[in-house]
Amino acid sequence: MTRDALGAEPRQLAFEPRHRHAIGLVLVAGIAVVLGATVWGIPRETAKLPAVAREAMTEALPDWHTLEPVNEVVYGTRGFDTFGETFLLLAAVVGIGLVARSKEPRRGFIGEERAGHEEQEKSDPAGAEGGEEDEARTAESEELDYRAEPETPDTQPLGLPAPERARGMSVVVRGSVRVIAPILAIAGFYLVSWGYSPGGGFPGGAVVLGVILMAYVSVGYKRIARIIRPGLIEPIEMAGALLIIAIEALGLVFKGSFSANFLPLSQPGTIPSGGIMQVFSGGEFIEVATGLTLAVFGLLGMSRDWVPDDDDDGESKGDAAHPAEDSTAHHSRLSARSQ
Amino acid sequence: MIVGNYLSAVSLFSIGLYSVLTRRNLLKIVMGLSLMESSTYLFLISLAYRAHSTAPVLLGPPGHESTSTLVHGSVADPVLQNFCLTAIVIGVAVTGVFLAVIVRIVQHYRTLDADRIREMRG
Repeated sequence: MTRDALGAEPRQLAFEPRHRHAIGLVLVAGIAVVLGATVWGIPRETAKLPAVAREAMTEALPDWHTLEPVNEVVYGTRGFDTFGETFLLLAAVVGIGLVARSKEPRRGFIGEERAGHEEQEKSDPAGAEGGEEDEARTAESEELDYRAEPETPDTQPLGLPAPERARGMSVVVRGSVRVIAPILAIAGFYLVSWGYSPGGGFPGGAVVLGVILMAYVSVGYKRIARIIRPGLIEPIEMAGALLIIAIEALGLVFKGSFSANFLPLSQPGTIPSGGIMQVFSGGEFIEVATGLTLAVFGLLGMSRDWVPDDDDDGESKGDAAHPAEDSTAHHSRLSARSQ
Repeated sequence: MIVGNYLSAVSLFSIGLYSVLTRRNLLKIVMGLSLMESSTYLFLISLAYRAHSTAPVLLGPPGHESTSTLVHGSVADPVLQNFCLTAIVIGVAVTGVFLAVIVRIVQHYRTLDADRIREMRG
């Protein structure tokens, strides 16, 4: 038993059951020994560069007019690999979207069930009275206290008990993000545009995700919902995927080989140097920025898909003492409902 | 002594594998998988390292180098750096899918314990 920081309620530390300790330890030790033994056969830091790396180094400047061999490998010689990886990322994003979406069509990521609730009250005020569903909804909204959410915590007195209800963060955070976000956004675009120096679509896209998340945590979802919504981001992501498919397939049309460069190569050290590499990198930038945004907001917007139980409170107290019994009771209730 | 890096990668991988094998909390299993992923990043980047060499960028090499010595191999391996980039992106995507599935599992079974989910009640 332990007492949490506020000293309010004694709380049992979560017992963490484990699984076949000894067998796991033996298996892992065996694998570690085998892997450790192979380390002695692996090339060290004094070994010569492998042929494929030397080829990439020698090809980068004459064949692609780029000063960045890593980008040349990613979007040039091993472009087909990156092409496949792009669609693996897309498949994962579609998978997250599929698992995370609710049954109703949604326009935004977060708080849609609230919007729907208000709409339903307006259109069918009689239907909202009585019934088990209504009770559950009332209980839920009381529990979560949505209406009491202020825009910012600035007007609230200090020292209120957690959790904070405001949608955004304090004026200090909002002010800092206002300064940092544009700088970071420009850094992201710089990483992609100046493709002859280290950077490219992957890090650039990740930086843009960082800007979006900073805006989200500082002002709350409601203020960015006009831009960060599935209806806008999903088409942009598909456009990025189409751009990548087109730029790779056009090599087949013009040069007879998939992922071949068909664009004129300009001077090394200029933004358009590198031919299709730069376009591919731009497509990847769109793909990574929108894909990661969809994945993160899909996860953030996952709301619960059951009606809250009226005895949920009782469970949270009893759960620590008799976890097994309680969960059995729960499962029977859940299955009874689903039948 | 790049062997130290290799051995660190092996131990990271083993720690990750151990938690995947012995933990029953689904989140900790995903954390173990993430550790195993990061061990591959460390391994690939260490494998790309070459002593007394520089980054594979042909723009303004450091004093004692020239573009031609870079081209002839006095650099870290760019192909392995590319592999690491690929591995990171795939790692993020896969972790995202895992987490989404876990949220749904917890909503359905109301437990994070892998053993109780295996019982498939209901």
